[in-house]
Parts: sequence; structure tokens; C-alpha cells
Amino acid sequence: MNIPKSVLSAILLGITVQ
Amino acid sequence: MPNLLPSLACNLDLDLLAAALPLLEEARVDGLEWSFDALFQTRQVPAWFLDLLTAFGQEKRLVAHGVFFSLFSGKWSEGQRQWLKTLSEASQRYRFDHVTEHFGFMTGQNFHHGAPLAIPYTATTLAIGQDRLARIQEAAQCPVGLENLAFSYSVEDVKRHGEFLEKLIEPVNGFIILDLHNLYCQLHNFSVSFEELIPFYPLERVREIHISGGSWEDSLTTPAKKIRRDTHDNGVPEEVFNLLTQTLPLCPNLKYVVLEQLGNSLKTEQSKTQFYQDYLRMEAIVRDFNATHLNPIPEPERFLPPQATFSAELVEDEALYAQQVELSSILETAGSYEEAQQKLRTSTLAHSAWQVEQWEPAMLETAISLAQKWKKK
Repeated sequence: MNIPKSVLSAILLGITVQ
Repeated sequence: MPNLLPSLACNLDLDLLAAALPLLEEARVDGLEWSFDALFQTRQVPAWFLDLLTAFGQEKRLVAHGVFFSLFSGKWSEGQRQWLKTLSEASQRYRFDHVTEHFGFMTGQNFHHGAPLAIPYTATTLAIGQDRLARIQEAAQCPVGLENLAFSYSVEDVKRHGEFLEKLIEPVNGFIILDLHNLYCQLHNFSVSFEELIPFYPLERVREIHISGGSWEDSLTTPAKKIRRDTHDNGVPEEVFNLLTQTLPLCPNLKYVVLEQLGNSLKTEQSKTQFYQDYLRMEAIVRDFNATHLNPIPEPERFLPPQATFSAELVEDEALYAQQVELSSILETAGSYEEAQQKLRTSTLAHSAWQVEQWEPAMLETAISLAQKWKKK
């Protein structure tokens, strides 16, 4: 399933900065 | 065109999300299973996690998986009432395709603490389980399912588990999560073959399959045998992939195939790579199956209740609750297998439906280990 890129970017940022 | 959905169990866990992100970016994840009741320690939830849930919910690809409800507790608790309230609110917010819980009752006196243990298969426990499932269905307003347990005290319990599950879900027209690693634990720990055990399960009721890894534990009471435990802290073993291939054709109403692993076992790059490879292998098995089978995808209506099953009157049993408290206390405080066995012989569980006289020593040993491990959490 395609996830909106904005959501994926936010997850990456969230994981990175916790 | 059939469409079994390769899916991930995903929670608000940074290591798990880091391992899952490449799979999400590559659009390989068609369904998301969320343990909605595991957020009790979290005061604030990041907006991006809620957005992830919403993205899957909007596509009707989000399923809820409860951990702490304690379906068979003989006594209704405030924690259970609050759990249902949380479920109801989450269901309205995220549009779950279905909701599931685990079989068993939780040791320990505090909600969110303890380990799930098997219960005797009696009319009393059946009535309590059916009552609780009806309440879950009422709160969630979507199909409700139960997962098979990895733990049993005796081979007789193992063989009766599927039939009891079927009776439990019948009033709510529910379904089963067939956890194949749990099944693998039973096959190994009780030396039963897949061909011998699988006919005891109502496979037409399977809507979801789990695969995961686990670990081995030595047994003091049976030194020649290692006990398989469903610890979710390793990659998926070859045997479980084989079980997946064998099981898919047997489940005509299957929709989700879910990979589970705990975030605390995904801290290294090596473990993340193994997780990625496990998912790709599961996905390949599912997509190969989709390409060669022509059954239409089951719809939620298949497992919606035919009529209202909810009753305002709670089903409780004080005697069962007292036995559960007594068993929990024995398991949580026993200094040895021998001490636990001695206490059980003189407990209210002796010569009762619990059939403690038939419990396999290695499994009582495992129950002690489980109860004491989770008491500390």
C-alpha cells in the first residue's frame, strides 16, 4: 500500500530526533 | 483476483518503526496491526504516528490487537471497563477492519502486568469468554477475533484448544488469528505433528495469520528437551515459513498475514536486515499464493454478528477468580518446580477442572518462569 510521502518523511524525522 | 494482505505488527516503538520504514517506503506493507492498548505508558503520541494509523485506517487496512484485556478473568475489573472505553474511542477514530485479543487470563493483580495463562475448558469459562467477546464487539462495532495461545499445560489441552476457540467466537460470529509460531511451540513442546493437530482448528474461521520468531529454553525437569517459547525476539525460523506455506491453502477466509517482532530485538543493523528479509520472504509466499488462487477476498461482513449478542448482565464467577488468584500467587512466588507442585496439590485447584495432576512438568516450569518474568515488569 502506498503511504503518503509526507507521512513517511515525518516518521523518518520522528525516528531520527525521537 | 485474490488479495491476501502481507502486513506488519507495528507499534509506537522507535526501533520497530526504523526497521519497518524501508518496507513502508517500498509500499510492501498492505495492512497494519496496532496493539492499541500498549500506549498506556505514553502521555503524548507523535502526530506522525497517528497519521500512519490514519493512512491505513482510511484504506480499511488497519486492525487492532489487544494485549491486556484478560478475557477469562473470573471477576470483571475497572481496567477492563477502561480498556473497552479506549477501544470504543479508538475504533471511532481509526476505522479498524477488525479487532482481536488473546486467549487466557492474565496473572498479576494490576492491569498491564502479568502473563496470560491457559484456563480449564468448562461451561463457566466458555460463558465468561463469550460475554467478554460480545462486549468487545459492542465497543468496536467491527468483526472480533481471538488468537490461539502458545502455552498449554497438557497435550489434551492442545488438542481441545481449536474446538474451544470455535465455541467462544460462535455467538459473535467471530474469527481466529492462527499464530503459526504459537502453533510451532505446541507442535514442538508436545511432540505433535502439524497433520495431527491442524484438523482440530476451525480453519474456515481464520481471518488472520501471524508469523514470528522465538527462543529456546532449557528444562530442569526434562533435561533432554528444550522448550520453545514465543518471545518474538528473533527472526522467523524455517519451520514457521514452512507452516505458512502449508496453512495458506487451508484457510478460505484468510485476509491478513502479519509479521511480528518486538522492537527491543531490532536495535542492530543485522537484526533490522534479518527483519527486512523475513518480511520479503513472507510477502513472496503471500503474493505467490495470490497469483495462483482465485478465491475472492473475504469482506468484513463474513464475520459480523448476525444479531445483537450483548447482554447488560455481567458474567462472573467468584470461585474461578479465587482459583486464578491462587494459581497466580503460587506461580509468582514458587522458588522451584517442586515447591509449586506441592502447593498446587494442596490448593483449591487440586482435583478440579484445572486437572493440575495432568500438567506436564516442563510446562509447569515454563508457567513459573512466565509468571515471574512478567511480575517484574
